[in-house]
Amino acid sequence: MNAISIRTLSKRYGEQLAVADLTLEVGTGSICALLGPNGAGKSTTFKCLLGLARPTAGSVEVEGAPVSAATFQSLGYVPERSTLYDWMTVREHRTLARRLYHTFDAARFDELCATFKLDSRKRVKRLSKGQRTALALALAFAIRPRIFVLDEPASGLDPIFQRVALDLMIDAAAGGATILFSSHQIGQVERAADRVAILKNGRLVLDGNVDELKGERKVVEAIFEADAVSPNGLARDPRVSRIERTGRILRAYVNNDAPGVAREVETLGPRAVTTYDLSLEDIFLNAVADGEHPNAASVGTSQGEV
Amino acid sequence: MPAVFTVDPRSGIPLYLQLIDQVKRAVALGTLSAGEQLPTVKALAVELTVNPNTVARAYRELERDRVIETSPGRGSFVRSDGTPAQLRRAATDVGEATLGDAIRAVRALGLTESEVRTLFERVLARWYSGDDDA
Repeated sequence: MNAISIRTLSKRYGEQLAVADLTLEVGTGSICALLGPNGAGKSTTFKCLLGLARPTAGSVEVEGAPVSAATFQSLGYVPERSTLYDWMTVREHRTLARRLYHTFDAARFDELCATFKLDSRKRVKRLSKGQRTALALALAFAIRPRIFVLDEPASGLDPIFQRVALDLMIDAAAGGATILFSSHQIGQVERAADRVAILKNGRLVLDGNVDELKGERKVVEAIFEADAVSPNGLARDPRVSRIERTGRILRAYVNNDAPGVAREVETLGPRAVTTYDLSLEDIFLNAVADGEHPNAASVGTSQGEV
Repeated sequence: MPAVFTVDPRSGIPLYLQLIDQVKRAVALGTLSAGEQLPTVKALAVELTVNPNTVARAYRELERDRVIETSPGRGSFVRSDGTPAQLRRAATDVGEATLGDAIRAVRALGLTESEVRTLFERVLARWYSGDDDA
């Protein structure tokens, strides 16, 4: 049984399809990063997952069961926009959480507040954006849930506290918790996540194990004596996602089997062939690049996060 | 825990492969000695701030390569039956990968096989005196 199952989920707001036919299974103990440009459908996916928005089609399950009030006893959620109460102090949030969650560990909460240097007497309205994120994280992690859904958990945090947030996630996953999170901080993603799912215009354009993707996605570059030759069948080769030709240089963006593609490129008679590794950032940018997935281009017109 | 590993999450090389390489290097160089205990998956993941499953995968493959052994409840250790021949193999593995990278880079410059061979002999002579019995 997967910790989180999202099956053929679609969510339409009026004319706009915010999430289109998304299927995503997150195994227990995994840290899965949901990536995508603003407006790709990440927050909508989270809302549907948590029962805060009704799916237009498809279904979501947490630990094999439809989401209900009981789900939240084992789930820690940090939303994109704070659901903290402006007029309440940090300490009052602690009191409230204690009443709401029977697993709430107050000592752990105090420890986390100390780590994030949160003043327990302060009201939320007087906290900075980063401090609000820190408070939301402290509350979520003090519940000690089995599943975390974190929408931009680094939002507003300085680099030191970003690392603290990362450490909390890694520590929780090492203890068996499952984490689904969104982030624009690719550095955070490539450390914490073992899996990435990339959304573009509401559609899943890439989903895979981070190390597998790094192992498979390569750039094969060939330099020719004269202008780069036309790559014939390579453009239609399923192993190749994109071909670039500029002057004497030919670059093939490879999905898998880079050695095989390199051998194929060799037959074109280049002067030299090199295979380059791609960072996760490169892989992400290639996945959301225009033209990569023509089907997705017509879906959704949103500018901001929905 | 004397051995400290360093990984570069930004690199395009999978993290678990970086870790495997680091452990083999440490074993080959003796900074990790036979029978020595490795950090737990959790401890190493937290120390390096990397995903625990990635560390677990590296350990699994190191076990399969007979570099380390894991006994349930006790932890992971550098194999104590590690003979000099096995140490030698760890060094050979790392060496082969390193030379492979170098040759790949040289080949990318468009040099032919015989040019590379000549170059290799020349560089080799600079680092080894030639009295090696192997």
